[in-house]
Amino acid sequence: MLPLFALALNGCGENPVHDEAALIELGNYLFFDQRLSGDGSISCATCHDPNHGWADGSPLSQTYPASDGFRNSKSLINVSSRTVFYWDGAYSGSDPSEPTAEMITGKLFLNMHDYLLTERMKQVPEYVALFERALGAEPSFDGVIQSLVAFQTTLTTGDELESLESASVQRGRDLFGGKAQCSTCHSGVRMTDALAHSTGVPENPIIFQDPLRHTAYRVYLKEHEVEDYMTIGQDVGRFAVTKNELDRGAFITPDLRQVADTAPFMHNGVFSTLQEVVRFYDERGEGLGLTPTEMTDVVSFLENLSRAMPEISDMPSPAYQVSAEWLEVSN
Amino acid sequence: MRRLLNIPFAPVFVGLFLVGATVFSGALEPVFDALSALGPPPIPADNPQSVDEDGYPLSDDPKVELGKILYFENRLSGDASVSCADCHSDQFGWSDGQDLCLAYQGTGNWRNCPTVMNAAYLDRLFWDSRSDRLENQALDAATSAVEGHGNQEMMEERLRQIPDYVARFTEVFGTEWPEKEDIWRAIAAFERTIIQPDTPFDNYMRGDELALSPDAIAGMELFTGKAACIQCHTGPLLTDQKFHNIGVPDNPLFASDPLVQITFRFQQYMRGVPEEIYRKAKTDLGVYLETLNPEDMGKFRTAPLRYLIYTPPYMHNGAFFTLEEVVDFYNQGGGSDQVEHLAGMRTRTSLLRPLGLTENEKRQLIAFLESTSGEEVKVERPVLPEYAVLETHD
Repeated sequence: MLPLFALALNGCGENPVHDEAALIELGNYLFFDQRLSGDGSISCATCHDPNHGWADGSPLSQTYPASDGFRNSKSLINVSSRTVFYWDGAYSGSDPSEPTAEMITGKLFLNMHDYLLTERMKQVPEYVALFERALGAEPSFDGVIQSLVAFQTTLTTGDELESLESASVQRGRDLFGGKAQCSTCHSGVRMTDALAHSTGVPENPIIFQDPLRHTAYRVYLKEHEVEDYMTIGQDVGRFAVTKNELDRGAFITPDLRQVADTAPFMHNGVFSTLQEVVRFYDERGEGLGLTPTEMTDVVSFLENLSRAMPEISDMPSPAYQVSAEWLEVSN
Repeated sequence: MRRLLNIPFAPVFVGLFLVGATVFSGALEPVFDALSALGPPPIPADNPQSVDEDGYPLSDDPKVELGKILYFENRLSGDASVSCADCHSDQFGWSDGQDLCLAYQGTGNWRNCPTVMNAAYLDRLFWDSRSDRLENQALDAATSAVEGHGNQEMMEERLRQIPDYVARFTEVFGTEWPEKEDIWRAIAAFERTIIQPDTPFDNYMRGDELALSPDAIAGMELFTGKAACIQCHTGPLLTDQKFHNIGVPDNPLFASDPLVQITFRFQQYMRGVPEEIYRKAKTDLGVYLETLNPEDMGKFRTAPLRYLIYTPPYMHNGAFFTLEEVVDFYNQGGGSDQVEHLAGMRTRTSLLRPLGLTENEKRQLIAFLESTSGEEVKVERPVLPEYAVLETHD
């Protein structure tokens, strides 16, 4: 049921930004605020942790409590330049508002009711003030999303480090674009073609052995109306979105700009080191024929891609307050 | 189960003519027929369950046994932290003993938790009657963001990972896998066994005039006479199931607890209350949230008056912790209208007036109110079945 005053209170579409810095500050608070989750137990930073390269450092991400994840948490570093979101590419375009909103309301993620979130925000005077400064409006779900999107634009890496590239890195660059064929898919400035490919990454069996993960995976398949979801024993990847058989087991090529900081790797976290990743590509199919030294060189190149991480800290969440003039003030 | 005689109450004749008798004669003229004993609960045709020869639900029906386990199943809630039984516990009269109900983690509640005891008899559920049957009430509470915060698809998949549930759902409902709609059917069937029609009051109404103490009988006369409770508290459930604004004072937590305030506004916003009212309201607007008709502001469904000794606190917001406080409230003629400025009219009932009860009369009235409770009903807590460890499919 849509409230009668949805336009007035919750907003359809974005509010004009009055103060970008205030909007980012608000987003910084909210990113670390566990009250954005249904039971107040997790925040965005739970799975996108600055101490783990804005991912979570686990093979498979956690989910909302009492379920567990079946995909690797994607780093949010440089997310604002991303054009396709999620391993299955469920969202595309330059605007991360939709995936950000789904991360908050999705039952496998923060599992938060959007109206209840609005009311929680209104119970925190510091947030009310920041909404007013940033957007000239009272707290709203759209405002929450706007602030988180604004905050995510700050999650960018710094300039290229001024250091001499080692010979190994230089050889690795040549291999990356040549013999190792990495740039076939990891192309362009972001080092991704933003397309889905099936590269035969081994399944992570725990997804089908752990009931909490299996439950989450089935719910995901059911949400995407995948037929036979009760008997599917592998991660169907982008197929869940497109229902195109060519996309079965295919996943969006990840960008590699900060890859060394975001282990474990692949959509299901089956590889814990870049060495394993490179060896996997060397051995798959007819093989690349890389020597041990060449594999080391490719890893050196990948590690050398990392730049200075943004310096952003966990903002302590201001507490709920009750107005002493509750009976007098407008709700 | 027991012999049932649906004979109306006739206290005057009891006193004058039937001393020593064990059963009323049907030939007696009733003084009034507003009160009666509780019979078997209605069973909806689309959710049948086994009953005894008198029509009372049997607790060994497999559907009831399944429903009982699900009633205690915390994995129906969003983060698996609460079950039906946490807020509707047999340790607290199938409620939770709180003034404002317990809530989902990280949230607050804003109303008193109605007891499940005898809920099977009610035409509609919740203080604002928003649900038309137990099946839908259970669904509503289990999925509300401030109660169970469960998701039906998630619940269904969780149950499908638990072999004992798969077997039980198949046995009861004939489906290959647990289906979400059947969760609520099973829980409702269990709740239809949580009844207490065997109280001193019921036995008195069935003809055992020794079932009530002289004080309780005097209290019943006050209930139906001087105290005028019978205006709204009629029938076997002692409720007209209609809506009245009696001016119950606000629970102080509304002004002091941030989680209550959040939920208070959330509920209004969810239910589509106009912005002008949302901005101004500081008190629970009751059934208005269901109808959005200003005439309904501040009205709540008349509470059934059974099982009372096990279910304090009382009223829609738990404002009163004892029956003495409740009786004092009515003896003063109820409370003041708190919504007139919002409704633009007076919605408070004109049925309540100061009663002038003596201390002895109040005691007698409470003795009667206590006579509708009966023995405390408790159940053995079931063992929850475990998730299976799964094998890969290929």
